[in-house]
Amino acid sequence: MTAEATDPVIATSNLTKIYGKTTAVEDVSFEVHPNEIFALVGPNGAGKTTTVEILECLRTPTSGVARVLGYDVSKESRAIKQRIGVVPQSFHTFDRLTVRENVTLARQMYETGSDPDEVLTQLDLSEYADTRFANLSGGYQRRTGIAMALVSDPDVLFLDEPTTGLDPAARRSTWEEIERLTEFGTTVVLTTHYMEEVEELADRAALLVDGEIVAVDAVANLVETYGGDVKLVVSPADDHCAEIEASLRDVATDVYQDDTGNLVGIFDDRYAAQEAFGQVLDIEGEHSIELTGAGMEDVFLQLAGGTVGRSGDLQ
Amino acid sequence: MTRIWPLLVALSKDWLRNREAVFFAFLFPVILLLIFSAVFGAGPSQFTLYVQNNDLGSDGSATNLSTSFVDALEEVSALQIHSIESGRNITEWSRQRGSAGAARVVVIPDGFTDQVRAGSRQARRSVILDTLSRAGNQINQTNQARIRQRANTTINGTNATGPAEISFLSASDDQAAPAIRGVLSSVLARFNLNAMGVETPPTTIVSEDLGRQNLDGVDYYLPALIAAVVMINGLITLPALLAELKGDGTFKRLTATPLRKRDWILANVLQQSVLALLITGMMVGVAHLAFGVTVIPGPLASGLILLGAITFTGFGMVLGSLVDGSDAATSLGMAIALPMMFVSGVFWELDMMPEYLQTVATLTPIYHFHHGLRQLMVLDTTHGVIVPFAILGIGALIALVLAVRVTQWRDL
Repeated sequence: MTAEATDPVIATSNLTKIYGKTTAVEDVSFEVHPNEIFALVGPNGAGKTTTVEILECLRTPTSGVARVLGYDVSKESRAIKQRIGVVPQSFHTFDRLTVRENVTLARQMYETGSDPDEVLTQLDLSEYADTRFANLSGGYQRRTGIAMALVSDPDVLFLDEPTTGLDPAARRSTWEEIERLTEFGTTVVLTTHYMEEVEELADRAALLVDGEIVAVDAVANLVETYGGDVKLVVSPADDHCAEIEASLRDVATDVYQDDTGNLVGIFDDRYAAQEAFGQVLDIEGEHSIELTGAGMEDVFLQLAGGTVGRSGDLQ
Repeated sequence: MTRIWPLLVALSKDWLRNREAVFFAFLFPVILLLIFSAVFGAGPSQFTLYVQNNDLGSDGSATNLSTSFVDALEEVSALQIHSIESGRNITEWSRQRGSAGAARVVVIPDGFTDQVRAGSRQARRSVILDTLSRAGNQINQTNQARIRQRANTTINGTNATGPAEISFLSASDDQAAPAIRGVLSSVLARFNLNAMGVETPPTTIVSEDLGRQNLDGVDYYLPALIAAVVMINGLITLPALLAELKGDGTFKRLTATPLRKRDWILANVLQQSVLALLITGMMVGVAHLAFGVTVIPGPLASGLILLGAITFTGFGMVLGSLVDGSDAATSLGMAIALPMMFVSGVFWELDMMPEYLQTVATLTPIYHFHHGLRQLMVLDTTHGVIVPFAILGIGALIALVLAVRVTQWRDL
């Protein structure tokens, strides 16, 4: 049975995966809606990859149900694989084939899809079309992976740790590509341990800790619910202290002066803080302004009792 | 099925652009070919044999009879004769030369000539007396007595106590010693007949080639080398390549596409089988150009090579699926392929091995593979090749079914 347009693209119910004595994923339930970017967030070993690999029909769940595009992952993998695109963690393909040859091969694995050269153009890979995969930088290798996943015009694209190991410029470029995908009606499911990536890209997110989902909601809701206060710390220039304090009080729930003389505004959410930020900028003088708190880092700290380092480990 | 061709093309391109893989895939068979051609293509093998002649005359030189025995040995093309000075201690001589090749020594004893003469007289007397007893009713008693007396006088004055004993000394682990002992026995038999006055033996051997004529050692070994290379490619090279694709994640990405497991297996088997045919063609070409080899695989032999390639690449797919890491895959392939190669009689005749190993050999597919190729290419006959075709056909089927069963497409 296939999905209706309004049905969730992905729906899991009490999904569990056990390896020997280790429970990798336990009772995971969530839904992904059409045309959204959904993030599975968590530290290394949280069960993100296991969860997406079950959805990609690469792993068999021990128990529970998972449906992708209305198809059961355990019984209808052929139908699912025909309509999904996958960029695995540590993506790799044939080293000695060129980018075009690899993307063409990927296209030939599907019944329908786009012209490989069009996809290369779309992802700014035309310049490297005749370069062998092994000779590409990490960023372009990852981009080739995305091209290979997109060439079949998938309804759902799975990106497992899409920017791990990339330099900041390549990461930013990859984010832009992912954001563009939703313009073509593609639903994106990504796993990541970078909180800024979730804030930047995801519409909704599920936080996984030790194989269990501790929260799933729109990113803005998660931040609002679990993120705590947002602080705007202003070091006023010249004699504008009173003017800035008044401006902050218009929006903040509380304003005080700390030991160093800085003005600190407390806000309910990031949007209120950003409004105050704009007002302070309009006040004459060169003020030092710092916006802190209430991001996914705070959400994670609140729900998991720790932060996730750059390496992906829980600290 | 439509995905097999593009995958086959991709696998072939990826492999052909791998300089190291191509270099070694084509170099290894050529090295094997050169070694075997050098060993077996330069004419018949020769065994070194040392001779110590202690039968000296009063002037200190070797007696005529002992010299003629040494000459008879030198006439044997399979032997390369070197002499050791008479009277020298053989044990000491052997110690002094150390490990410089196998030490096989024939010692002609002092008094050899006298013993041979006495022995030959006794033999002649026995022949005369035997003839007399068989034809006694045709000769009168007087003549019989005269002949018997003459025969007895021929051995008067001889001190022969038995046949002359030539010693053959060899190391206990010398594999060639039994063959050389056989050659020596043959030379001695001829020498004994001559001593009896028989110049032309009543029976001789005429050797002829079976199958195609005028073939060199390389021609005989080419089918075996082809079989060995096809097996090595399937059981050692392919599992390592598969393990590499599994290890770097290429395989996992393919399993996430609609590609079917059976299509993946067939594409790999076809690619490696085509490669095996190419390597075979190259080996035959090099053997023909460099060594003048004339045995060229015909359609039936080519079919058997293809069947062998499918069988061994099929089993290679099985091995590649069982282990992770190209090193482990190579080790596993070698652990299976090398013993099978040496036991199957690819590089030497089965007759040289114990009987139980000969039985084991017939249980290996490589034995039937090279046996069938030899029938078709060297003996130029189709007699009995139905067995290799059947065994490799069944082997290919089993290998492909096993490959489908053990290749994991989920939960890698």
